Amino acid sequence: MTTYRQCIAAGALSLLTLGATAQAAVAPESLVGPIADYKLYVLDNLDQFVSHTKAFTQAVEAGDLQEAQALYAPTRIYYERIEPIAELFADLDASIDAREDDYENGVDDPDFTGFHRLEYGLFHEQTTDGLKPFAERLMSDVNDLDSRVQDLTFPPSSVVGGAAALMEEVAATKVSGEEDRYSRTDLWDFQANVDGAKEIFELFKPLAAQEDQAFVSRVEQNFAAVDSTLADYRLDADDPQSGFESYDEVSDSDRRALTGPVTVLAEDLSTLRGLLGLD
Amino acid sequence: MSSSNAFWRCPFLKSDASNSSASRSDAAVEAPEADRRRFLKTAGMTGLGAGMAGLSGLCPARADAPVSHGKEVTSTPQMQDAQLRYPFHGVHQQGVVTPRPASGMLVAFDVLARDRESLDRLFRTLNERIAFLTQGGAVPTRDPRYPPPDSGTLGPVVPPDGLTMTLAVGDSFFDERFGLTNLRPRHLQRMEGFPNDALDADRCHGDLAIQICANTLDTAYHALRDIIKNTPGLLVVRWKQEGTVPLLPPSPGAVDGSARNFLGFRDGSANPSGDDQALMNELVWVGSSHGEPAWASGGTYLAARIIRNFVERWDRTPLQEQEAIFGRRKMSGSPLAGGSEQDLPDYATDPDGDVTPLDAHIRLANPRTAATEKSRILRRPFNYSNGVERNGQLDMGLLFLCFQADLEAGFISVQRRLDGEPLEEYIKPVGGGYFFVLPGVRDENDYLGRSLLAAAV
Repeated sequence: MTTYRQCIAAGALSLLTLGATAQAAVAPESLVGPIADYKLYVLDNLDQFVSHTKAFTQAVEAGDLQEAQALYAPTRIYYERIEPIAELFADLDASIDAREDDYENGVDDPDFTGFHRLEYGLFHEQTTDGLKPFAERLMSDVNDLDSRVQDLTFPPSSVVGGAAALMEEVAATKVSGEEDRYSRTDLWDFQANVDGAKEIFELFKPLAAQEDQAFVSRVEQNFAAVDSTLADYRLDADDPQSGFESYDEVSDSDRRALTGPVTVLAEDLSTLRGLLGLD
Repeated sequence: MSSSNAFWRCPFLKSDASNSSASRSDAAVEAPEADRRRFLKTAGMTGLGAGMAGLSGLCPARADAPVSHGKEVTSTPQMQDAQLRYPFHGVHQQGVVTPRPASGMLVAFDVLARDRESLDRLFRTLNERIAFLTQGGAVPTRDPRYPPPDSGTLGPVVPPDGLTMTLAVGDSFFDERFGLTNLRPRHLQRMEGFPNDALDADRCHGDLAIQICANTLDTAYHALRDIIKNTPGLLVVRWKQEGTVPLLPPSPGAVDGSARNFLGFRDGSANPSGDDQALMNELVWVGSSHGEPAWASGGTYLAARIIRNFVERWDRTPLQEQEAIFGRRKMSGSPLAGGSEQDLPDYATDPDGDVTPLDAHIRLANPRTAATEKSRILRRPFNYSNGVERNGQLDMGLLFLCFQADLEAGFISVQRRLDGEPLEEYIKPVGGGYFFVLPGVRDENDYLGRSLLAAAV
């Protein structure tokens, strides 16, 4: 195989000249605008993420259990929206957002830090005792993430592919209710992932529509279906900023109802890179 | 796409006249090893290597050419009967009286389709996929910037490999969602737990089930992934259980014996013959005499049970007790009176159970009286092994599948007779469900589920 891999690289050149790539791709320069807009979206969310994390970790450090519990879910949404970019820094993603089952020793593992370690203390153990080091670490990790993203050139394929990546997140861990197992605030993350995917889709929608209008309509319908089921679980139906009920309240039939459009979105958005001719 | 075929040849080498793009994929599939050797040989002979290396920096025969390890491919066991193909069209679906292959799987789904239109799309899609997968063929290719349409786990050409996919619907399929409530087959019901059951809700029931059988499990897995890929938003997997049939060593001249289950006993003795069409029409296939809705004609009931076997405990049980529990000799499969697996136990001359205990498994399951003849069922089981329990014991057992024209007279009656049998100490049913296998697809104008959906209009 090794011999042949070298030939593949050489072959790629000739294939291009043979016109083997038949897909009428979107002009590369037309991606520049949406990607710049997406960077603004990410930086804006990152700003909010830093300030909310500050308030959250301060509440933990001050020993204010109720306040810390209340700020847990509203803080996370800024991270969940921009996960395609945040996840580019695997070390920080692990220390900020890993769950206990990412570690062989579970909650007792010394490497288990970040939001879910704090969630375990705040919601399962119902105390802020012993959480100060985790709060300090989280704040410093989030600041680190902020400075790294500021300098980042956004890779087009990570941005466009991010819409599908977010729906994979939803399909893998949100529908099952594994994400926020102690606080049961999964629906906040669920909505944030969906919002993040929808933002990317909206930015590239005009380009996608040129290629496949039926695709665009289908994706819009499925986003609407997910949003409408999620809206049923808002604490205040009239206020899109209000929070969500506990994931325990989500009926089995609604979990199934979410699985359908989420899976179709994951399938459809997995073709967005191809549709826009991105390598 | 030519790009997907470029992997096996250096594009700069033109010395082989057969090296046209059209033949590349075939060559890659048939003889990659021969290809490779020819490639290296011609590269050396023509002296192309050095010149091309200077030009591209990429071709072989340079001083830093990769080291060959001789054989670059790991040898692989061969499929035994890859071209075994069962016709898709027929009065009945395949996978019921079809000879049982070495691998089987039952997958239960929840239907996510919300209306009749998407339900129709679901059945047409399943029909189209099952028709392709069971007959085999080249998988489609696509611009590599897209996810590939096929998982690729069986390579560029899918072999039929004896694959059958048998589509069935469960009791919940006939709830109020699709307006089919008045078309429910008479005996179709939600499986209720029997006294020895410890049902796990995550491994029970389903709107729909597909029995996927093939010579190899890989073929079944490929088929399942294809179905999932092609039905997003329409189906979601609820549970699945796969299993295998232990292969018998060849024994020329000897009469075939039934395969063994994980308790070491032959499982399949006294099974009605799937080749006996008249018997199948009586015991298995729903016909006009069964009082079922007309759309159901040609279908059959499937009872599925995931039956855990406590194999460690069984292996610590004296042989004579094992044999008394089953009512057969373990090695030969014969009745306890002796003889061979083909010999019939004579219960008439053994009314007190001196030879075959009255509560022996085979005697309860099939008392061989005129009254119990109508409860005969067509069994099609597979042995499963899922891993290890927390107590360190193996999670093994039987994926019990059986088919019958009347679920009440068939499996349910048999199981009621078995309730309380001594074997229960060693087994624990943990999942399963009842389903109705849809009639077969007659021809190109027909499709799976058509008769049911048409009856509802």
